[in-house]
Amino acid sequence: MTSLEADLEALLGRDSVTPADGRAGPTPAPTARPRSAEALAEVLALANSRRLAVLVRGGGTKWGWGRAPGRCDLVVETTALNRLLEHEPGDLTCVAEAGLTLGELQRLVASAPGHHQRLMLDPPQGGDATLGGVVATAASGPLRARYGTPRDLLLGARFALADGTLARTGGKVVKNVAGYDLGKLLTGSQGTLAVIVEVALRLHPVPPASCWVVAERLDPQTAQAALAALRRAPAVLSMAELLWPEGRLLARLDGAPSACEQQAEIVRALVPGGRLAGERETDELVRMIERRPWDGEGPVLGISVPVNRIGELLALAAVGGPVAHLSLRGTVGAGEARLQAGADPAQFAARVADLGGFVSWHRGGDRDSPPLQPLDPVAARLALSVKRALDPHSTLAPGRGPV
Amino acid sequence: MDRIPARLDQAPLDALRQAVGGRWVLTDPDQLRTYECDGLTGWRAVPLAVVLPSSTEEVVQVVRICRRSHVPFVARGSGTGLSGGALPVEDGIVIGLSRMREILRLDLDNERVVVQPGVPNLEVSRAVAPYGYLYAPDPSSQRVCSIGGNVAENSGGAHCLKYGFTTNHVVALTLVTPEGEVAHLGSAVPDSPGYDLLGVVVGSEGTLGIVTEVTLRVLPVPQRVQTLLAAFPSTDAAGEAVAEIIAAGVLPAAIEMMDRATIEAVEFAMHAGYPDCGAALLVELDGPQSECEALFGQVVEICRGCGASEVRVAEDEAERALLWKGRRGAFSAMGRVSPDYYVQDGVVPRSQLARVLAGIRELEGRHGLKVANVFHAGDGNLHPLILYDRRSPEGPDRAKRLAEDILTLCLEAGGSLTGEHGVGRDKVCQMPKLFSPDDQMVMHRLRRAFDPEGTANPGKVLPTPRLCGEHPGIYRPHPLELSGAAQRL
Repeated sequence: MTSLEADLEALLGRDSVTPADGRAGPTPAPTARPRSAEALAEVLALANSRRLAVLVRGGGTKWGWGRAPGRCDLVVETTALNRLLEHEPGDLTCVAEAGLTLGELQRLVASAPGHHQRLMLDPPQGGDATLGGVVATAASGPLRARYGTPRDLLLGARFALADGTLARTGGKVVKNVAGYDLGKLLTGSQGTLAVIVEVALRLHPVPPASCWVVAERLDPQTAQAALAALRRAPAVLSMAELLWPEGRLLARLDGAPSACEQQAEIVRALVPGGRLAGERETDELVRMIERRPWDGEGPVLGISVPVNRIGELLALAAVGGPVAHLSLRGTVGAGEARLQAGADPAQFAARVADLGGFVSWHRGGDRDSPPLQPLDPVAARLALSVKRALDPHSTLAPGRGPV
Repeated sequence: MDRIPARLDQAPLDALRQAVGGRWVLTDPDQLRTYECDGLTGWRAVPLAVVLPSSTEEVVQVVRICRRSHVPFVARGSGTGLSGGALPVEDGIVIGLSRMREILRLDLDNERVVVQPGVPNLEVSRAVAPYGYLYAPDPSSQRVCSIGGNVAENSGGAHCLKYGFTTNHVVALTLVTPEGEVAHLGSAVPDSPGYDLLGVVVGSEGTLGIVTEVTLRVLPVPQRVQTLLAAFPSTDAAGEAVAEIIAAGVLPAAIEMMDRATIEAVEFAMHAGYPDCGAALLVELDGPQSECEALFGQVVEICRGCGASEVRVAEDEAERALLWKGRRGAFSAMGRVSPDYYVQDGVVPRSQLARVLAGIRELEGRHGLKVANVFHAGDGNLHPLILYDRRSPEGPDRAKRLAEDILTLCLEAGGSLTGEHGVGRDKVCQMPKLFSPDDQMVMHRLRRAFDPEGTANPGKVLPTPRLCGEHPGIYRPHPLELSGAAQRL
């Protein structure tokens, strides 16, 4: 046993420390699994004082996102912080520890008597992802079309700085402008600024009914024109997924049954070849959306473009091109692309940048190189200055994330 | 700040004049007094100078001069803020953005509009209305208040229950940092790389730099808007209706509540034709016609089920305006029934509304002052109006204590210090009630990462021992308010 492992065991107890293994990177590192926010903060303070590099891990479902960390001496896992602390259905809010999985949270908030609520986030591998991990990676899925991303649903957070300081930001009410909104800063910071230990989130009622509209074999320009029409149509889309290269549009409408049906009819009429999906088909559609584009080999990139250039992106994703599968939130202009095994990600990134868009790593690829697209130089300096202010010794995931 | 000049030295003054042109540097004491306060008139300070730049480049030069000369600066939009966020620093200058009021670009294919910070909020919606779009955040002062100020305070409005706050509608901005550099934060396209510094700058009350260009998200105008006014015997009954509407899964565009004291004042002052009742709810739904109509029927039923004696439904735009008239005019109406009033901006979880309203009634009795309640019930954002007479010996002090007690009540219920007015100077000393020393220390570290010298709007947002021995003066109406151009909520 190394001295670090012994010290961690003294701090946390034997059950909460896993001896060094190689899953976190090239060099073996032990895993600490603290059972309270305070214990987690102590572990960070210990690592910080010894100038160790710490990676924080939730469910591990987004472990491959972002740039690879430069080094790792210790993994701190949040999964023992897994309690739902508050759920007040009348407020449509909840407070939970960061290691609670999204799947478990959905189960717990759905079971409140007399209410049927959920957190309207559906990131990839969402069931096993922890809330802290979803926030730290700013992960979202098709529901983003209507409900936004973690930044829109996070009301407050408690977090530990590398030096062991525990602090809070925001609150648990939906409307609040007291103090700086550090929740936004932590969202998407990939564990480089602080370790999130608790989150307050906005919930939504589960809609009573859903209708699906499906179209197939759309061409890029037709799809872009249809989406432009849909964005202005009197219909609120909860999802509008474009699946390429097969030219598929899957649109979902939620609400009161009559409203849903009327809006679905409006959508159907605006999409060439559009048809209402039968009830028995919908499970298959949901599975298709979940699988894509993760099933299969090849690097997966997060991708975004201006909505008026979706057609050009779809053309890039034609059969025989660099893209094996593309899933795009059609009303937002953001989604994921899985590249062909032999495709050059840098070249593809450059084509997306030409469209005015952005890419980021979600799986595989060259994660050691600098970011695929350079930041604004002054924004980059500010980001570095913020990193130094909160984590002066670069204890948290050095080399990962945006700086 | 190590050295603070007692007055602006000749050298920086000359440099400022050279940067923006002599006529845009105000030093005449009479002119400076125009800038001595924002919409929160109890706090006043005369700055050394007011500088009115016309471009990002000029702002950069002005900020660099400030930095070189160790002169603090306070950015100011239209001056309608209600927390003293634009209160000048006596040893500093005010940088007014009112000359930067151009709408630079409409990119409606992407639902984006690029504006300068001095553009009034309502002008954005006006510019895109012909194309069928609107800008969702709608603070009550929207005819006057500037987008730059909205960004600084993360402004809300009656319709943010459904649509969110300024932070949900700003996608990119240009920031002149306190060190005089130009940063481009965020992007018109989603998922731009890097930390979400944009999300921190929105709502930072001018302490992290000066925003000189803003890219906003605009939305298609909803197909249908439906509005009702329901009369309840009590605020408890109205509060129950709010809870049931939310529980039923309905997300209205707005739910506003007025208590008896407010309704009586509104009737006395403007004859809005509101029913005589213990509490009124104004509920507005918008969206596709099909959805709106399905849910509207449900809301009407819930109101009746919760004891509404009358439910008035607006049949057209004129009737809708009439229903809103009383709500929009509530604050100025209060000026007609009470010599003075102080408005609080607290937040409570929706489920605690009834408890906190009962608590406020108890405080009324204890302090011997009347409180009128008119507020955004859907998101628990209370605006209690404490009615007092500044000429009575204890009036102002009592009003102040009552306002603080209400805030304590909100915090005890799990709420917040401020829902939309901001911390500014007014609530800076109350921050410790909500945030621990460690919480504040982290915020302070963030602030220093942007502003190592502490020149940007010092004395706002985060408390210091020096600040918190002082007390604010009493409320005096702002000239804009008296003219009816703006209201305090």
